[in-house]
Amino acid sequence: MSRLRGNVRETYDMPDLSFAKLVYPDRVGAFIKTATTAAGASVIEMQEGDDINELIRRAYPNAKTIASNVPGVKADLNPDDVAKPQDLDGTDVSVVAGSVGCAENACIWIPQTMKQRAVCFICEYLVIILDRDNIVSNMHEAYSRIEMPELGFGAFISGPSKTADIEQALVYGAQSFCGVTIILR
Amino acid sequence: MSTQHSRKANEFVKDTAVVDRHDATFWAVRSRRDTMAHEVPEWEDLREAASRIKKHTVTHLADYLEKFAANAGRNGVQVHWAKDADEYNAIVLEILRAHDVRKVVKSKSMLTEECGLNDSLIAHGIDVVETDLGERILQLLGVPPSHIVMPAIHITREQVLECFRAHGIIEKEGRKAADSMNGDLDKLVAEADPTFLTRCARYHLRDNFMTADCGMTGANFGIAATGEVVVCTNEGNADMSTSIPPLHIVSMGIEKLIPDYESMAVFQRLLARNGTGQPTTVYTSHFRRPRPGSEMHIILVDNGRSDILGNEDHWQTLKCMRCGACMNTCPVYRRSGGYSYSYFIPGPIGINLGMLRDSDKHYGNCSACSLCCSCDNVCPVKVDLSTQIYKWRQQLDSMHHADPMKKTMSEGMKVMFDHPGLYTAALRMAPLANHMPSWLTGIAMGPWCEAHDMPRFAKKSFHQLWKSGLDEK
Ligand code: SF4
Ligand code: SF4
Repeated sequence: MSRLRGNVRETYDMPDLSFAKLVYPDRVGAFIKTATTAAGASVIEMQEGDDINELIRRAYPNAKTIASNVPGVKADLNPDDVAKPQDLDGTDVSVVAGSVGCAENACIWIPQTMKQRAVCFICEYLVIILDRDNIVSNMHEAYSRIEMPELGFGAFISGPSKTADIEQALVYGAQSFCGVTIILR
Repeated sequence: MSTQHSRKANEFVKDTAVVDRHDATFWAVRSRRDTMAHEVPEWEDLREAASRIKKHTVTHLADYLEKFAANAGRNGVQVHWAKDADEYNAIVLEILRAHDVRKVVKSKSMLTEECGLNDSLIAHGIDVVETDLGERILQLLGVPPSHIVMPAIHITREQVLECFRAHGIIEKEGRKAADSMNGDLDKLVAEADPTFLTRCARYHLRDNFMTADCGMTGANFGIAATGEVVVCTNEGNADMSTSIPPLHIVSMGIEKLIPDYESMAVFQRLLARNGTGQPTTVYTSHFRRPRPGSEMHIILVDNGRSDILGNEDHWQTLKCMRCGACMNTCPVYRRSGGYSYSYFIPGPIGINLGMLRDSDKHYGNCSACSLCCSCDNVCPVKVDLSTQIYKWRQQLDSMHHADPMKKTMSEGMKVMFDHPGLYTAALRMAPLANHMPSWLTGIAMGPWCEAHDMPRFAKKSFHQLWKSGLDEK
């Protein structure tokens, strides 16, 4: 510490960060575009009278095991109740709630609101439920809005896990989920 | 002229197909990065902000470290301090021993590479599994990375297939992988299909996530205001590594600190756009507290960083966020490959970091630069990379490393940089090529000219940029 202090020659002030930032007139439209192109996710816009469980079924008709603790979502496994995270392996679809979406890069903030956060990553496919009203234009706005949950973990997620490590060929489904469906309500 | 770099580069360029592919791959990444930059109107504001936030943070590092450590402690995280690589390796080993750890799953971390952690752990009988696909391939092949973001870029799909086969991964996971794609196993193997190989690795690594006793990650950023660390990946391997095993160890260089979420937004917007030309990494994960019933440790590593801070010419390397953009754009890196550099971080930033680590060992890398300044123009935090390389060359003389040829070269450079008119003319006519290593002059001038094509978004002329780079000193 003293070496760190001693080695500083000149100090610099924190810059002013109030420069103009990218904003979209149609945030929801921009979000859907980025999510379905750059991020590689699917988006379902929930309509009046739609049933959430039916939407999930329709998106993943072959899913055998659904894991979630989101109220109102029918699930076979609950990440609050499993004895250990390994018990969630083999989950076909996990359903989680996002609290803030960002139009510029399709990031969605997923706060850990379940005991085993492995549920967010271990599944083959991830369904994220997001309120249209919670979509902002850019990451500056997103970071001013997000809240860290009591459990002390949260992640911005933008589309399915991917890699281009083998000859730069883009492959979805590296170590985590292979596909993402965002349900906008 | 013959330096260690040029000799190794000569080996690499023997296979022109490999060189062309390498060159084209990185030029494509660089082009994607430009597209990303044009989509963000405030791009230059972001770069300036990022540079100044880093300048501010590293020149107040002791205060921010104290704040960070205090907050992390309050969050229930155990904080350790390591002054060098040995101390760091010893701390990791001690934590692992205390938990009786036999297997560690690891997400990519340049710092562990810097400290030689894997060898140290393996020597103590601990199984270390890299979980980034590229890193895992290299680990199984027993070779080092050739790029900091795309480490296995130089390996072909056939080599991956061969390697997976040799390790029994195709035999064990091939069927499941083929089924997951509704594909024909024999055909996928015959084609060395990248999706198939990735799926094989997915199931192979899944087993390891399930059975590991500890997950280790690096940290892209540490946030002083909250005491949390941020890890950015595309594969989700950091999240898999940390959401299953009961122990999480974070290894973080002390220069990774930034003040708060407001600053984080600036870096989040720049990192992936610059590194790989994507609007974001898939995962930007914030770790603030240990999982219920598990432990989280953060090891803050100095390993020479506080000395760099005192180095008038080179302290700004501490601003680097390891995005890889400078190597993607560097015409020398693109055509000579990561292995031609003696330091494990190649390219413009690696030349400088290698010299700061051990100049006797790495001075040969200083010749791997044509002073085109392309790296300065892309760096999201405005590290004055080429100015620093130029300064190293000036100093080689007093370090007794300058050979007569190199000295002529350095002096030639000095004359040019002291006479801007001459330099401009020199660039137009490209006689600079006279001073370039033979393996660079022997190739088409295409990529060389491209690198001089100033980004359309640059508000300042090349000379202004160059000058302000010097004035910042
Ligand atoms: S200035 Fe040197 S290190 Fe930087 S991009 Fe040009 S050749 Fe590479
Ligand atoms: S020096 Fe700049 S461009 Fe190079 S890796 Fe570091 S941050 Fe990226």
